[in-house]
Amino acid sequence: MTEAIKDLLYKIADDQLIIGHRNSEWTGLGPMLEEDIAFSSMAQDKVGQSLAFYNLLHDLGESDPDTVAFMRNANQFHNCQLVELPIGEYDFSLVRHFLFDHAEMIRFEMLSNSAVEEIAQLARKLVGEIRYHVMHADVWIKQLGVGDTRERLQKALEMALPYALGIFEESKYEQDLISNDIFSGEQALRDTWQSSITTVLTETELQLPDLTTLTPLIGGRYGDHSDHLQPLLDEMSEVFKVDPGADW
Amino acid sequence: MDSLDPRIQRLNFPKWEKDLEKNHLDQLETYEVFVQTKEGKPYQHEGVVHASNSDMAFLFAKEQFGRRYTCTGMWIARSSDVSVSQTTEADKSVYDFVEASANSDQLESCEVFHLYKRGKQHRHVGAVQAANYEHALSESKKTIDEQKTVYNVWVIKSSDLLKSAEEDKVIWSTLPEKQFRDAIAYKGADKIKEFKEKQANS
Repeated sequence: MTEAIKDLLYKIADDQLIIGHRNSEWTGLGPMLEEDIAFSSMAQDKVGQSLAFYNLLHDLGESDPDTVAFMRNANQFHNCQLVELPIGEYDFSLVRHFLFDHAEMIRFEMLSNSAVEEIAQLARKLVGEIRYHVMHADVWIKQLGVGDTRERLQKALEMALPYALGIFEESKYEQDLISNDIFSGEQALRDTWQSSITTVLTETELQLPDLTTLTPLIGGRYGDHSDHLQPLLDEMSEVFKVDPGADW
Repeated sequence: MDSLDPRIQRLNFPKWEKDLEKNHLDQLETYEVFVQTKEGKPYQHEGVVHASNSDMAFLFAKEQFGRRYTCTGMWIARSSDVSVSQTTEADKSVYDFVEASANSDQLESCEVFHLYKRGKQHRHVGAVQAANYEHALSESKKTIDEQKTVYNVWVIKSSDLLKSAEEDKVIWSTLPEKQFRDAIAYKGADKIKEFKEKQANS
């Protein structure tokens, strides 16, 4: 069962670390000062959340968080491919943020009732941060999902959706996690996610395509990634690798 | 353009021949932000954000003025919805110049904020039922028990304030742990001192 729990923790932590790093690439380049600070803060939250999960992994016998975060290669990461894609333009980054954080909020609400008390406690603690992230995404999507900006957002949505469906790639331990009440499973998460994003999108002029016609881009949970992940890892770990013992 | 920042380098900016021109006054309108730092404490003015509407202003205010220390609630008002009194000096209070006025028109709830020291922040002192701004000042003078000298008063209709929802308070719950957002948490001066001593000794 420990392997199943580790697998669950790794995918959550890796998603957060990678999207946190990606979104931090907007720092200093955001569309306006206030948004730059808000988006950067959320990126920082994500990296902080990943640290909390890497600490749980460390308690289960994995290496220390810095080593886990900075010393693995792309094929050892369990994040979905959605989070590793380049930031693109702001429309794509906002749409990814919207699709990812709705799933994240539901995942954390589910985990708040996990049979593993350490996970449940952490999920309950972080759900407030994610609530703001979702609020931020929803306000932007409602603001830009109408009028002149609708078309750009629609395109970004269509580009991001097959990757977003890859969030819900099932673990090889899926049934163990479900039957032991550790996590209610990716399929249940996906169903709730779909109704959650639909509720927001119906307040805009954006069209959600029939998701059953899309082929999810999967593989990320098993270490199969796009060409974008390794360069991100090289850049993220550059300073750490120069002096792994540095205190800063 | 060559940059040491790989993110900038990736953008492949063309070399700028001349400075880009910026339109005059192309900013969004401003919103005033009031923060409650602890349950039960009065809301206090913290600053201003630019935004296209009050929902956006709330998003920005949350990270502009509620990203450090503690926060239990936030109010947002469009700057143009704030009625501002004259500013008094020395031992004169704004209320010394307010005359009692009665009004039988439709009354509305108005939030009142006092400034006790120039350069400091306005603090929420209560709400009054009033028909207009002058009436609000008069009602406030009559009903709000104020011992201190008030140098400036802001009045905002309660319906013009966007107040954070009770169930959204959890968005600030992890703030006290985010000490990494304070420069002081890095003990930079200590590290520089230690580094210099090491250099001097080697």
